[in-house]
Amino acid sequence: MDLALDHDQRLIVDTAERLLADAASSSATRAAADGADGIDHALWQQMAAMGWCGVHLPEAQGGLGLGIVELALLQEQLGRRLACVPFFDSVVLAGTLLREAANAQAQGRWLPALAAGESIAALADESENDSGTAHATPDNGAWTLAGDWPRAGSAAQADLLLLPARSTDGEALLFAVAPTVQGLQIKERPTIDRTRRCAAVQALGVRLDGHALVARGPRLEAAVRRARGIAAVALAAEQLGVAQQCLTMSVAYAKERVQFGQPIAAFQAVKHRCAQMMVAVEGARSAVYGAAAQCDTAVDAGGDAAALDFHTALARVEATEAAQFCAQEAIQLHGGVGFTWEYDPHLYFKRAQASSQRLAPVSVWCERVAAQLLDGPTA
Amino acid sequence: MNLHESAAEQAFRAEVKAWMAEHLSGEFEPLRGVNGPSAPGFDAALAKQWEQCLASGGWIGIGWPGEASPRALPLAQQVIFHEEYVRAGGPGRIGHIGETLLAPTLIAHGTAEQQQRFLPGIRAGTEYWAQGYSEPGAGSDLANVRTRAALDEAAGGWVLNGQKVWTSWAQDSDWIFVLARTDPSSVRHRGLTLLLVPLHQSGITIRPIRQITGAAEFYEVFFDGARTEASLHLGTVGEGWKVAMALLGFERGASTLGQQAHFRHELGMVIAAARANGAARDPLLRQRIARAALGLQMLHFNALRVLASDASQPQPPAAFIAKYAWSNWHRDLGRLAMDVLGEVADIADGDLQSQRLQSLWLASRSDTIYAGTNEIQLNLIAERALGMPR
Repeated sequence: MDLALDHDQRLIVDTAERLLADAASSSATRAAADGADGIDHALWQQMAAMGWCGVHLPEAQGGLGLGIVELALLQEQLGRRLACVPFFDSVVLAGTLLREAANAQAQGRWLPALAAGESIAALADESENDSGTAHATPDNGAWTLAGDWPRAGSAAQADLLLLPARSTDGEALLFAVAPTVQGLQIKERPTIDRTRRCAAVQALGVRLDGHALVARGPRLEAAVRRARGIAAVALAAEQLGVAQQCLTMSVAYAKERVQFGQPIAAFQAVKHRCAQMMVAVEGARSAVYGAAAQCDTAVDAGGDAAALDFHTALARVEATEAAQFCAQEAIQLHGGVGFTWEYDPHLYFKRAQASSQRLAPVSVWCERVAAQLLDGPTA
Repeated sequence: MNLHESAAEQAFRAEVKAWMAEHLSGEFEPLRGVNGPSAPGFDAALAKQWEQCLASGGWIGIGWPGEASPRALPLAQQVIFHEEYVRAGGPGRIGHIGETLLAPTLIAHGTAEQQQRFLPGIRAGTEYWAQGYSEPGAGSDLANVRTRAALDEAAGGWVLNGQKVWTSWAQDSDWIFVLARTDPSSVRHRGLTLLLVPLHQSGITIRPIRQITGAAEFYEVFFDGARTEASLHLGTVGEGWKVAMALLGFERGASTLGQQAHFRHELGMVIAAARANGAARDPLLRQRIARAALGLQMLHFNALRVLASDASQPQPPAAFIAKYAWSNWHRDLGRLAMDVLGEVADIADGDLQSQRLQSLWLASRSDTIYAGTNEIQLNLIAERALGMPR
């Protein structure tokens, strides 16, 4: 048993830290967020060149074939800089789902371009288990799809959409379609967290051929569950990065801001706030690293769904709390300038809020853990 | 990073489990699950016999370096021992101050004579130690020590005058290590010496302090012309502060995981109580119980991160937060336990499980005070980990 980063993992962190400090500076992030499609394309290409877009995807599909720990380490660094790239939407959410659910043919068709960063995929529904109101009816080996997916990250930027739906008899279905297909409407919705884009997707009787169906049935439902767990751990890692950067910014500011003739970092009221942020950050780091290691261990061990759920909840709860607490403290510790558009704390504050509601909020994860502990047969 | 346990580790886990099942039975049955002096059912004499039983199995001193240790266990196996010890219901360790604090300090800073004289008694579970640091005027501000010691040139040996407080196990211990001011003109950290003093002598008076639990786990120790031999200073005379701090450094380590196994046991009691009395159906309590379980797993991974760090390197970030995190988690668990018990939480003659939860609630209030209060911990984090000005 060992929770230390090994040499290669350390290298990933150092490389990502260096690259992003430069390429995803505050001004670069702000420029990209205000740009037409919200993507920093220069950064995205650098990331693709490093192989990051396929970090946890199979080597056979052009990925690096690494684990969830490596995926989480990258996510943490991207979160620190609020990097304007569709890494979470395309690589983590859509990529993991394709990896877990899709048949070999569909994987071969879509994953290599995803892993190379040449294609951006978006999953149209992050919500819990069911597939919303979307339904599909078979039609001579083809399908007719109708439904609304109100919140799909990066859907307006994607060239591949993953659309979950149900058949008339309730079977889970997953379609992979090009956004240009006739009858599909994609309408970008403005976000408060401007570093993240999302869109509403609507299908009005869209006709799809049989190839578009990439997974179905109980196998799909199990894969969705695994993919959501992995994505939630990766999202937690991003939240950890948000929390860490809020702490780093606040301590740096407190050391330089002088009031009453001394840096405010000398006042105990300020020191204790920063120390409590560090308690939250390091606790979240332990939770996220432990959960990511558990994901990799569980895969090797054949997968224990309950343990995976528990550890996913651990990462999500600790990292959500840490990100929201540290972002709120960052605004307070920056004082008046913390309330300005010019200083960065509000960017992190908005990201912390937005992330807290993706892939189910803390209360849902806690209830799932409570059910394990309190409702089943006694252990 | 990996969370796998090797075949050797699994075999060792089975060995400890079997040993505990065989030995924590019969005469020792009443000690099962009894965590310490304030827990219902504690018996100091029996707890000492249990220590001797542990010694016979070679389980005392497993974390000591080199030849002093009865068995050279790698860290991962020390962790497994502590986990299985608690899982089996092993009682609170009356010998832990000698074993985990004094002995490593003796090995690092003591003379060969001191080591030969004191280590065997600790390893055999026959000699017990108390810690003489805090004083009425020296709590968080430990350097304000006023207990004085002077060499009596005529009769030979040290003579001590002063008072120590919050001394755990003093009544049941044989020796005490005392941080005393040996240079009368010194102030603060200078001029202090760590002295090894026999507790049972006419110059020493021991008085229990009744705690909010009703039990007396701590004592006041008064030194009124108390004596010890001239050679029984641990480390150099006048350099006691350095040795005293090194001693506290030995507190972190594998036993943290044992403490967490105990927390897991307590959390299990809270869950069992909630399932039994219907509190498990309360939506808010469900959220709090889930958070408690997740928080404990976070502490577990945090401890694994600390243990994975290189001991020769400066303290890693995860180590700085450990004490603040576990003590506040445990205090919250105490409050949760009472909320789960509900309207009978205030009834003192309930079943043993209820009494243990009530004891947890009160005893856990001390966690955020001893060994560095919450406020001291936050100062340490801010100043040492975040580099903020003193």
